[in-house]
Amino acid sequence: MEALGLNLGYLLVQILNFAIVFVVLRAWVYKPIVNVLENRKKKIAQSLEDARKAEEARQNAEAEAAKIIDEARGKAKDIVREAAEQADLTAKDIIEKAKQRAKEIHQEALAEAGEEKNRILADMRGQVAALAIAAAQKLIGSALDEKRQKALVDEFFSGVKGGKIVVLEGEGFEGETVLVSSALPLTEAEKKVLEKDILKRSKGEPEVNFAVDPTLLGGLTIKVGDKVYDYSVSTQLAELGNMMN
Amino acid sequence: MVADNTLATPEKPKKKWRYGVNRWFVLLFIILGVFANRAFSPILPHIQLPAERYSHTPLLTLPVIGDFYWTNTLTAAVLVDLILLIIALVVRKALNSGKQVLEGFAGAVEAFLEMIYNLTESTAGHHAKKIFPYFATITLMVLVANWMELIPGVDSIGILEPSSHGYPVESFLGFAETLVKGEGAGHEGSTYTLIPYVRTLSTDLNFTVGLALISVFMTQVIGLQARGVNYLSKFFNVKGLFSKPIFGVIDFGVGLLEIVSEVSKILSFSFRLLGNIFAGTVLLFVIGSLVPVFAQSMFLMLEFFVGLIQAVVFGMLTMMFMAQATHGH
Amino acid sequence: MDKEAARLIGAGIAMIGAIGGGLGIGVLVSGAVQGIARNPEASGDIQTNMILGIAFAEAVAIYCLVVALLILFVI
Repeated sequence: MEALGLNLGYLLVQILNFAIVFVVLRAWVYKPIVNVLENRKKKIAQSLEDARKAEEARQNAEAEAAKIIDEARGKAKDIVREAAEQADLTAKDIIEKAKQRAKEIHQEALAEAGEEKNRILADMRGQVAALAIAAAQKLIGSALDEKRQKALVDEFFSGVKGGKIVVLEGEGFEGETVLVSSALPLTEAEKKVLEKDILKRSKGEPEVNFAVDPTLLGGLTIKVGDKVYDYSVSTQLAELGNMMN
Repeated sequence: MVADNTLATPEKPKKKWRYGVNRWFVLLFIILGVFANRAFSPILPHIQLPAERYSHTPLLTLPVIGDFYWTNTLTAAVLVDLILLIIALVVRKALNSGKQVLEGFAGAVEAFLEMIYNLTESTAGHHAKKIFPYFATITLMVLVANWMELIPGVDSIGILEPSSHGYPVESFLGFAETLVKGEGAGHEGSTYTLIPYVRTLSTDLNFTVGLALISVFMTQVIGLQARGVNYLSKFFNVKGLFSKPIFGVIDFGVGLLEIVSEVSKILSFSFRLLGNIFAGTVLLFVIGSLVPVFAQSMFLMLEFFVGLIQAVVFGMLTMMFMAQATHGH
Repeated sequence: MDKEAARLIGAGIAMIGAIGGGLGIGVLVSGAVQGIARNPEASGDIQTNMILGIAFAEAVAIYCLVVALLILFVI
């Protein structure tokens, strides 16, 4: 031991020396520095945590915003679709109404036109009668009694004489509806006479309608059920033509 | 011409060959070294393991220990203490200044200690606060003690003492004397050896054994503090002695071997440090006397790293043994 | 053979043991460098452990050196 220089006294001195340095360094250097390090570590951990939280909040906000935008988009889409549907419906409605209205106008116009035609034909009846008489005067050479002429003409057109239908001689009707067609519109008086006569002849009480067909030229056709009594001038002319042939 | 100058792209400054200052300093010192060697050629000093005493009369006599001489390694120990105290004062002042970030030397010490602390924490976990002071103190103290051998004058300025196997003395500059090469051996009284004022602290076995004792002893203390009586079961493993007929006895024997291992740690610690640094100083002596010019500078650099590595290894092994003691098996 | 010559020879023989330390350090550093080359990210841990291992391996060589120095300067 002595050769190695190992000595209890020196050993103790060195150990105590270390102890002194240890105590001083621990008090002056290690404890403050460890505190500083711990504080720094804590602060770093705190800031990392804060950053993480902020990041989380940001992501949440982003997700929220995305959700809101999505919702808004969906709502907007719904609204647009509804509006389009509404518009379609409205448009269809308007078109339907317009069509309806157009049809109505068309029908009104048709009815008006028919009425107008009837009126014109009624007006024409007088003129036709005058023309026919004038032509007959020229043809016969003598003037007929004016009143008689008129009666003739009326009879020609309406087939009614003395409160009876001239063309129907002792015949009876059977049927629900009766359609009376004439070349020119009949007067109200004539219509009444016709109706009365038809009712008198028919069994039951059929409904009597009147129609105008200029192609008949004169006389009447009476359609009862499926039977047609044709006393029109055009048919008589055709029969006359057949006979002559 | 003016337009040309403004349009021309600025030329990159060519790196000129410069005759740097430092290389000439190195060359100058080498030449000076050659002349110095011609004037006073270096000698291989007398090498001995025990620390040299300044005087032959004891400083004081204690009852149990005996005579107490003041040695040159004790002077080195005092110097190491002073350096460490100055470092502590500087760091303390910097810490008390309230700055968040330490600057300069204190910052360097703080960075070093932080590295050590993080290493301790990653190894020892929550026991780090208890272990860290030992790790840091041993590392710093050994580091300063090791690096002291690099200082010029340490190991080379001292008292001349008459010796039978020494060298003749020659005076120079009027007030100093130096040993010179020469055939003076055998003439008692005319040859001398040098007793340096300061010798590297780590080359004193008392220092290394002292540190090793503290390290191993505090390892046991920390193990006991951390694990209580359970820590002793590492040495006296009586758990399986009666339950397991053969292996229990083997475990008990292994436990007893742990005691041997703890003792061998003291030897290992102390002789590792002493051997490295003592060999380093001897190496510097030998190289300095064989190739006096320039070669020793390279070995000074080597010793710089050896000193650092030995300091870190001493501290780190202490820390690891302490961490193991807290964990248990 | 006088005592001085025997001392010097003994010191030289004692240093033969340094072979073991040198081999150990060589194997150790080779392994550590391979480890760092394969996994450069772990270089910090590997270096720390390598230096510790070198310290252990070197201790053997240092014991030889101490013995040699003891023979030379103490005995």
